[in-house]
Amino acid sequence: MEEIDLTTPVEKAIRLLSTLDLDVFDVSAVYSRSLSIDILGKGIKEARSRTDLGIGVRAYKNRGMGVAFSQSLEPADVEKTAHRAASFATAAQPDPYFKGIPGPSKALEVPNLCDSEITALTLEEAGRLAKGMIDAVEGVCPGAMYVGGMGAGHSRGYLMTSTGVSVEAEKTSVSAFIAPTYRKGDDVGSSHEYDYAISLAEMDFDKIGKRAAEKALEQFGSKRVKSGTLPIIITPDSTNSLIFGLMMAISGESAVKGRSFASGCLGKQVAPQILEIDDDGTIPRAIASSAYDGEGVPRRLTKVVGEGTVLTFLHNSYSAGIAGVETTGHAQRGGYGGYVGAGPTNIRVKPGDSSLDEMVAETKRGVLATNAAFFPNMVSGEFSSTIDEGFLIEGGEKKHPVKNLMAGGHILELYKNTELISREGRTLGKGHFFPAIKISQVKLAGK
Amino acid sequence: MGLKAGANFCEARFFEERSNSISIENGVARALGSGIVRGVGIRVIVGGRWGFASTNVPTRRSVEGALVDAVGGAKSIATRGGEEAKIVDAKPTIDTVNHKVKINPEGVSPEERVKRMLEIEKVARSYSDRVKDTFMSYRDVLTKVVVCNSFGTSIEETTPRTYVYCSVISKEGENMQTGFESVGNVAGYEIVDAIQPEKFSGKAAEKAVKLLDAHPPPRGTHTIVVDPKVGGLFVHEAFGHNSEGDLVFGGQSIVSDKMGQRVASDLVSIMDDPTKLKNGHFIYDHEGTRAEPHLIVNNGTLVGFLHSLESAAKLGGKPQGSARAQSHHHPPIIRMSNTYFAPGDMTLEEILEDINLGVYLSGSQYGYVETQKGQFTCKVEQAWLIEKGELTDHLRDVAINGVTLDALKNVTAVGRDFRMEMPGMCGKGDQGMYVDAGSPHIRVEGIVVGGRR
Repeated sequence: MEEIDLTTPVEKAIRLLSTLDLDVFDVSAVYSRSLSIDILGKGIKEARSRTDLGIGVRAYKNRGMGVAFSQSLEPADVEKTAHRAASFATAAQPDPYFKGIPGPSKALEVPNLCDSEITALTLEEAGRLAKGMIDAVEGVCPGAMYVGGMGAGHSRGYLMTSTGVSVEAEKTSVSAFIAPTYRKGDDVGSSHEYDYAISLAEMDFDKIGKRAAEKALEQFGSKRVKSGTLPIIITPDSTNSLIFGLMMAISGESAVKGRSFASGCLGKQVAPQILEIDDDGTIPRAIASSAYDGEGVPRRLTKVVGEGTVLTFLHNSYSAGIAGVETTGHAQRGGYGGYVGAGPTNIRVKPGDSSLDEMVAETKRGVLATNAAFFPNMVSGEFSSTIDEGFLIEGGEKKHPVKNLMAGGHILELYKNTELISREGRTLGKGHFFPAIKISQVKLAGK
Repeated sequence: MGLKAGANFCEARFFEERSNSISIENGVARALGSGIVRGVGIRVIVGGRWGFASTNVPTRRSVEGALVDAVGGAKSIATRGGEEAKIVDAKPTIDTVNHKVKINPEGVSPEERVKRMLEIEKVARSYSDRVKDTFMSYRDVLTKVVVCNSFGTSIEETTPRTYVYCSVISKEGENMQTGFESVGNVAGYEIVDAIQPEKFSGKAAEKAVKLLDAHPPPRGTHTIVVDPKVGGLFVHEAFGHNSEGDLVFGGQSIVSDKMGQRVASDLVSIMDDPTKLKNGHFIYDHEGTRAEPHLIVNNGTLVGFLHSLESAAKLGGKPQGSARAQSHHHPPIIRMSNTYFAPGDMTLEEILEDINLGVYLSGSQYGYVETQKGQFTCKVEQAWLIEKGELTDHLRDVAINGVTLDALKNVTAVGRDFRMEMPGMCGKGDQGMYVDAGSPHIRVEGIVVGGRR
């Protein structure tokens, strides 16, 4: 990785901002380098590399916020960026909810967030890994057409604030995705598989390819299903969206300003006692781990849902100020853009005592949703989602894949109707854990 | 340098995007922002394979390093098999395009912009005591793209765009609903001056408040009638993506083997036209090809795909300017521009009159399509039940789902009241791109309507 100095431009911006009569401010700079292999059609299509850097400034004057960023760290551009943020802060109006930004605090180190294999990865090696994934698909069943790819990157960031925070962070990541499509006349068998991690050793490209092929072949012969109200079993890849929707709804200012469907759920039971959710940003080698959050506050383990009850919201300093509590270390800074939001880190749903096979076997008639995004309207909580991939269950067995089938309702009803949670599940990025969940009844729209 | 390094084709693209934004919440201009995105993307074909590299480190060393990376990248996959890189020969073009605006946003001070946004927002906030929160956002963007390639093409195009978005949250008891309105185009600050607050933020507030009393839709398969916004979303998702040449040669399109065949009712004609002065407008695409209107479906028959230099070579078409990239960090891929259903000759009353029971859909939220299966989903803002040709119950939380070719063959009425007013961003792969979409009122049979009832 090319040596790019982030400290000098950040400190230059901090010094300049200190002379501009502002309330508080922070400056962040990020440098990253990534490699990717693009897959389309018959296989590998393109090899890519990217070098990115930028600096972002967030400044407050009379509680009004000005934000500016630049993709150049040249001294003149850094100066202009700082001046723009300061002048915008002056033009903005006082935000009555703004209470300040955090000061310094010391976090424990989160080990192994940087993988030397990724920093040393070449495009030739990346191409070999991507080809391995394609070969695994072909090994199961040849003749697919593809879309997908793999990417690996290394980023380094530096955050300084007027309140004394000075935090450096470095991380690697790798991801892979492949979607094979098979055709038999007008019938289509298509699906996808993916994984991501912070180290190459955690990735099994062969397994991703094989699983994608198996799932695609299962989709041949899909049929329409009659409308009705049925139990639905959601496999871990779709549980992901079901749980992530709740985690976002209890995050940041939307939650505390009463703008999310879960704003009124703090301290209330939203699901049976079997549902328990932790958020942990300190798991070693995990995809969403870091020593500090986007405002320099230490990450931590947060018990979010206990025995079905929402125990806390996930805060950055802004939402914590509104709620009158301490920040929970969930500030999220999207690169060097300057804006700071809030959201979950590694989400871990506690395993239950059922199994996916038992859930299917115990279902007389229902739907197994293997690929569906149960992501609601974040304000109303209402959802209307297509079961992109799934199966009709009859007599405790998977009968056939479904098509043109939609599920609808209020997301809080889905949580409330949680009936079973599986022991086994899927760990993603060494951090997230999602089991399968059976919902006792969901309204389905079909033929 | 690229050719000397062994490339058969070399393209360098400079990209710069300067933006300004204002965020208003409940009558307070909370935040003002600005950003500059700038860098170079280099794309090469070496030994029949694509290599791409980008940097925004503004040094000669970094840009030359990107060229080395692009060439090295292409060579690194040369022995891996897969999708061959080939393109049609393009005639060299040299041109500079500066889109004109009536009022340059840079000439309007941040204070003036804030004042105007607050005036517009106030109408929403004072609409009803059931309005809980109001949000306004303003954004102006100036995008400069310079494309140089080894054919000798050298194109520079500078495009201003301006957007205003208003959303409103209404509340009664535990029931919360949202309404929104947006405007945006290749234009300057005149787009803000033209806003009539009652018809913009007032309309967003009206939608949010009236949705509090709306009902869930009757789920099942129904005859639907879509307004021009839903029609625009429908044509973009259901068919537009399927006509993108890269998805066609990549085996990801449901119509890849249907050129010249009937794919829709003969009432259906579909166009993609970057020359229309709407949000997806441009003169040259990011490969330097001059943009032309593309007829995709003519009276129900598939007659064209959208092409890049590569898909034109692979599918035997003519590039008409459909390759664009989000930034220097992205290679050009095939994108829609302003996509629309061509108008027919019916009035809305005629379209509705013989529907005994159906659903009328209005306003688009988002959509997506699985092109390889041809299954699409569109989420709409609001709907009404159609009973004996009349709009009756107001409905909320409505989404539709269908299979592209079935749905297009089931179009049974097309209106004359064409509108294109869906300025937005379309996502494909990891890239977002400026697009627009439009339609007249359209009637489609046999569409799945999702909902709670």
